[in-house]
Amino acid sequence: MNRKHVMAIASKDMKLIWKSSKVWIGLIILPLIMGVIIPAAAILVGRSISMEDMNGGMGLLKLIDEIPFEGVGGPLTIHQKLISFIVNFMLPPLFMLIPVTNAMMIAVNSFVGEKESRTLESLMLAPLSIRDLFAGKLLASFIPSYAAALGSFLLCGIVVNLLAYPLFQHLVFPSMNWIVLMLWVIPAFTLTAILFSVLVSARSKSFQEAQQVAGVIVLPIVGLLIGQATGVLLISLAIMGIIGAVLMGVNLGLLAWIAKMNQRDQLFESQIQ
Amino acid sequence: MIHVEEVAKSFQGKEILRNVSFNADRGEVVGLLGPNGAGKTTIIRLLNGVISADSGTIRVDGLDPHTNGNDIRKIVGVVTESAGLYPEMSGRENLLFFAKLYNCEDRSRIEWLLELLGLDKYSDKPVGVYSTGMKKRLAIAKAVLHDPALLFLDEPTNGLDPDGIQDVIGYLRTLNKEQGTTILICSHILYQLEEVCSSYVFLEKGRIIERGTLSELDARYVDEVILHVDTGLRTSDNEAAGYSYTVVGENKLQFRLPSKGHIPELLRSILSESWVHSAQIMNNNLEALYFEVRRRSDES
Repeated sequence: MNRKHVMAIASKDMKLIWKSSKVWIGLIILPLIMGVIIPAAAILVGRSISMEDMNGGMGLLKLIDEIPFEGVGGPLTIHQKLISFIVNFMLPPLFMLIPVTNAMMIAVNSFVGEKESRTLESLMLAPLSIRDLFAGKLLASFIPSYAAALGSFLLCGIVVNLLAYPLFQHLVFPSMNWIVLMLWVIPAFTLTAILFSVLVSARSKSFQEAQQVAGVIVLPIVGLLIGQATGVLLISLAIMGIIGAVLMGVNLGLLAWIAKMNQRDQLFESQIQ
Repeated sequence: MIHVEEVAKSFQGKEILRNVSFNADRGEVVGLLGPNGAGKTTIIRLLNGVISADSGTIRVDGLDPHTNGNDIRKIVGVVTESAGLYPEMSGRENLLFFAKLYNCEDRSRIEWLLELLGLDKYSDKPVGVYSTGMKKRLAIAKAVLHDPALLFLDEPTNGLDPDGIQDVIGYLRTLNKEQGTTILICSHILYQLEEVCSSYVFLEKGRIIERGTLSELDARYVDEVILHVDTGLRTSDNEAAGYSYTVVGENKLQFRLPSKGHIPELLRSILSESWVHSAQIMNNNLEALYFEVRRRSDES
């Protein structure tokens, strides 16, 4: 692998992100919405809502009451339980949307963009191996997406602790769930989103077409969110470990699939008219 | 430098090239001529190893493009029909990026090329706002960044104004003469090729119908000389020195002569009776030969 070539592709692609508003807006807006606005709103509502107002959500209250929250010391009030539930069970799936959506947008823009501007031909005609080309693009999609998630994680931590402190009198964020999410599940899922987007991009003619198809990658997150809200699947450390491992397995499968595209002549004929 | 033998290529069941054979020696400038869809771009892609031939042999500097593609791509510069540049990046950023891929990050050379091709004033502007001609000039700068031994140029002067065409042709000629760069050039604008090419390959519907130098083609295809003479001569029988003529313009006569050897005798005869400002053979330039080669190929 030629590290200089990989870095040249990665840094070029990362520079181009800031020249494409459809991509960089996601890198700014999503972390703000998912990492700051929604957590802040959810905690403020959780803090101020009265139990009478929760009549319609008796099922949810029952569910929250049954969850054994650990590591926070002493019996928790229902408000504390509600906020703990929001922070540890409802926010993580929403949070996963940040790197996954961004990674998908960047990867699709990167691959289809090269086809649309006919620069892929220039890259293929250069002494650049296909493996280095893919590695550079993978890196260029992963770094900003994961960085946005990390930045958002920091902001979310500040907002959650600031708003929850009056109720708990100690820091509630991050729990072990969050640490595992950030270091294991999110990197794995981000990689899945990128690899999936690469495969979709190879078969798409335009950015819009690739974006629409690759968008299905967020469906598992929606499923996870519903699972959390209904109590069907509550994320525990073990479940997160399994999710990360399954995603890594999927990634290996996708990598093997993409490796078949490593033949320059086949890639050229399939991508360039 | 380039050896192509019995090469065939199909794409999605359609035959693109059939039994294509030609050679180019080191330092030669070969013009690849043919209408759209003749297979010119396919030949350039095959030589670069970005697509593979169905059959036949290709060697570039002794290397097989299919197995040693990257070694070939290191010594080759390509100008594609679409410039292949990043529209969001500036001209300089584009060159800096490709310089990294070709391992030739010499900033002074980049600045020199930008100045040489008249792009230094626009080097910080995004390529998306460049005119077609400016993009083409930048594509040429990109192709020669690494000082390649071999240049493949697909319609390099498309979109250039007459001054730009002259500059590019002049630069290519200098590159070839001073550095011995071998050049394979495809172009529709034939009079430009005549200035720079040492030999030609004529391609039609995926097969080579003729090849040779201009003088070889002249000997093969020019059976009679069509001569335009700018003169004040007029005769009642429309004849001069025993050759009949037709009037094709004000003070312009067209003669049909059996060979070039008859020109001095004819001109001497006209000069003894009137003035002559110019005489030009009309059917031995590249354009006339191109159409004659294709016409005879269609007939056979």
